[in-house]
Amino acid sequence: MASWVNRIGFRGRLVTAMVALVALVSLLIGALLMVYLFDDEKRRAQEQLSIAERVTNEVIARRTDLELSRLSIVVRDFGFRSAIASRDPATLNSALENHSGRVGADFAMLLDSQGELLASTLSRALPGTTAAQLANARNNGADRSLLTIDQRGYEVLVVPVEAPGLRAWLVAGFEMDEALANIIARLSGSSVIFRTSANTPGGFISFAASSDIESGSEPASMKSVGGQNFIESARYFTRTLNLDASGQSAFEAVLMTSREASLQNYYSRALEIGLLVTVIMVFAIVLALLTARYLGRPVLQLARYAKAVGRGDNPQAPDIRTGGELHELRNALRDTLARLIRREAEIRHAATHDEVTGLGNRHALMHMAKEGFDADVSCSLIGLRVSDLSNINDTLGIEFGDKVLRGLSQRLRDELPDASLIARTGGGEFLALVPVHSPGTLKQRALALHNAVESPLDVGNTPFSLRANLITLQLPADASQTNELRRRVNLTFEQALQQGAAVTRYEPGQDENHLRELKLVSDLHSAIHHGGLHMNYQPKLDNHTGQLLQVEALVRWIHPELGFISPEEFIFLAEQSGQINDLTDHILQRVANDARAWFSAGLDVGVAINLSAMDLTWPALTERITSIFAGWHHSMERITLEVTESALMEDPVEAMATLNRLRDLGVTLSVDDFGTGYSSLSQLRKLPVQELKIDKSFVLRLNAEPQDQLIVKSTIDMAHGLGLTVVAEGIENLETWKLLQSWGCNVGQGFYLSRPVSAGDLAQTAATIAERQHELADTTPEHSS
Amino acid sequence: MKIKTGLLLACCLVPASVLSDELTLRVQLAGGAGPVTGAVVYLNDGSQASPLRAEMFQKDRMFHPQILILPVGSSVDFPNRDNTQHHVYSFSPAKTFNLELYAGMPETPVLFDQPGIVELGCNIHDHMQAFIVVADTRAIGKTNEQGEVTLALNFGASQPPGSLSLNIWHPRLPDNTRPVIQEIDAASLANSTAEIVSIELKPEPRNEGPLDHLQKRFREL
Repeated sequence: MASWVNRIGFRGRLVTAMVALVALVSLLIGALLMVYLFDDEKRRAQEQLSIAERVTNEVIARRTDLELSRLSIVVRDFGFRSAIASRDPATLNSALENHSGRVGADFAMLLDSQGELLASTLSRALPGTTAAQLANARNNGADRSLLTIDQRGYEVLVVPVEAPGLRAWLVAGFEMDEALANIIARLSGSSVIFRTSANTPGGFISFAASSDIESGSEPASMKSVGGQNFIESARYFTRTLNLDASGQSAFEAVLMTSREASLQNYYSRALEIGLLVTVIMVFAIVLALLTARYLGRPVLQLARYAKAVGRGDNPQAPDIRTGGELHELRNALRDTLARLIRREAEIRHAATHDEVTGLGNRHALMHMAKEGFDADVSCSLIGLRVSDLSNINDTLGIEFGDKVLRGLSQRLRDELPDASLIARTGGGEFLALVPVHSPGTLKQRALALHNAVESPLDVGNTPFSLRANLITLQLPADASQTNELRRRVNLTFEQALQQGAAVTRYEPGQDENHLRELKLVSDLHSAIHHGGLHMNYQPKLDNHTGQLLQVEALVRWIHPELGFISPEEFIFLAEQSGQINDLTDHILQRVANDARAWFSAGLDVGVAINLSAMDLTWPALTERITSIFAGWHHSMERITLEVTESALMEDPVEAMATLNRLRDLGVTLSVDDFGTGYSSLSQLRKLPVQELKIDKSFVLRLNAEPQDQLIVKSTIDMAHGLGLTVVAEGIENLETWKLLQSWGCNVGQGFYLSRPVSAGDLAQTAATIAERQHELADTTPEHSS
Repeated sequence: MKIKTGLLLACCLVPASVLSDELTLRVQLAGGAGPVTGAVVYLNDGSQASPLRAEMFQKDRMFHPQILILPVGSSVDFPNRDNTQHHVYSFSPAKTFNLELYAGMPETPVLFDQPGIVELGCNIHDHMQAFIVVADTRAIGKTNEQGEVTLALNFGASQPPGSLSLNIWHPRLPDNTRPVIQEIDAASLANSTAEIVSIELKPEPRNEGPLDHLQKRFREL
């Protein structure tokens, strides 16, 4: 219902309401008119019947008077009186017949003064004239009564015959016939029936009717008229008139006005009113439609206007000719639109501009860059990062910093007049899009800008110098997406900062490496925690006996997408991303588990684990080692922790402390990669290490390189001199192994002895090594240290 | 006449040493509504009056006198003293006659030889009416304004009967074609007071006759 109401809309509702109102009013008026008409017709019929009643009374009274006057002439007729005086019956009868004929009586009788019948024109007897009637006639000169004889109604008049004393009575009857009914009907316009009460109670006998009552049905109606039903028929308005003043017998005239004419009139009026109502309705509909159109059009105009405003267009306000509310609405919409546009401009400005310098912001720059990418327009980008802005803000105040920024931005504007956009994209970071330049000229412009920026800036009469790094990119060659652009700008800035160059150009590929590293960093985490890494172990053999002493744990990572990742790379990334402690912890656990498995399998082997420089500053390191190797099945000395020479030298004091704690645990500490760093021998002397591991770069081609031989030999001597055992790694051939043996090196490690193997394969490897023991063992037992 | 009544009254006042031969009557309307003047009262006591020769003339379309009391056998002349003719008739059984249109004096008088009431009329002037009371006695009289009349009775040698038949007539009797007969006790003759007799009369005739209002209505038509 509601949806239907909503669907028909404003016009529909207006039309419906108007039409309903008009229909209601019209129908009410029409109905009232019809009721009034009907009442009027009824009243007129009643009036007509009243007139008919008076006419009937008058006509009958005058007829009576006329008859009486005729009778009075007759009774004074001398011959008539002579005939009565003669007392001769034949004379009396003939005179009566003759004289009653003169007055038009339907019958006549002559009575003597005592009321005895003298003569009669009727063959049969009549109800006797009563003494009361005679007395009434004597007193009033005449008596009138109504009588029914043979189903015919008569008016009976009794008059005295005086000569001059009372000599006789003349009784004359006049029929109430159709002629009389017709006269009344003609004068009154109503139909007339004369009737009298019948013998049956409530029944009537009608004996005459005016001829306008259908004569065909008269015989039938004569009988059926008796009932009141016919009189109350819907076809007639009926009034009953009692003709007998004495009221003794119900001698009535029934007056009827046919309703057909009235009804016909009524129906034609109804038709006219209906037609009028229809015309009014049509007129109302047309009027309503016109009004709705008149009212609805500006509403629709406003709706379209509002829609256009909503779309963000700036349409012309419609011309509303209708005044009043709609006009006000139009003005309100127009003002709203104006305010909207102004506000939107403000918001847009705020969204795309830096409030301090008035330059564009990051959003504006990215937007423009994107437009450039979409339109495939080439341009060059010059970036500038002020390196010590936060220091300025901290020491000289943000206000001063803002002044610096404003001064700087003014310089940028001056130096880069051809820039399509200069934006401040960060605290001290500015990016400018300039027309495309060749790499050389771009670098020249950047250098010029660098000089301009670093030249002293006059801030509040204070000369002030800034240091800045500049970068350049070629778009879209160096970046074709905004995300790329942001990343590579950042990357280049970082690189510039690292390199300390005045102008750094983005090198293609940098970003790809960067992305690979990002991916490795993020994947390393899950590899550590979900078993993505696996461990290899490389045996370390006693250089003198060729016996398996220990295995060095080496972590390997096969990335599911990128394949083998070198330990150097991902360990470096782990150190960079702060995951190195997790990684070390993980390795310690794996090694401990594997070692316990070997021990259970009857394999007697120590372990060596590499620690990162950052592990040395990990406070929980000793605690973790203690807990992981709790209940260790060998002496703790069989656990060697290898620390690179460079790691030790980064923070010797901290390293020293950590190493002392580790030493307290009883583990063996080893200096890895010895000979590659800038080891201070005095430091080395202080370190609580027990082992020195000569870097493989000296060992790999030891058999062929005399210099390496010198270094290795003297290193072994020096280490032995310091009381350290010496490990050589990178032994690739028997010759080297034998050389080292001859120099008294303690432990050897290398592909010649064994490649790194998985934990499961170690037993097999150990067996193989055992087989080779006689080949490796020193054949000169006395030559040992 | 008055002296005679006075004498009669004087006689009545005499103590009834002899049977009184006079009867005084007072005629009044039934219900005692008042005395009736002009009523003719007579008693057939057997006395005979001598026939008379009387006259009833017509003047100004009226009979004069309107009531005439006559002994049986009297003759009446009907001279016409109007300048119009008259047609005097009677259909009464006591005397039926017909004097067709005439002027002046008819040649012969009309003889009334039977007792009874004779109604006279003029055929061309309906309102003209007159009555002749023909009586066969001398004991007859008309009531005066007090409705009283005194009759001289003369029963002669014969003994008066126990009851007396009194004939009373008035033009306004309901049936004025005959007298009303009332019986009175003869003993009342001895009374010195008047005998009271009541009769019914039609009301005084109105100015217009019973049919005149009809004529008036026809005139209205």
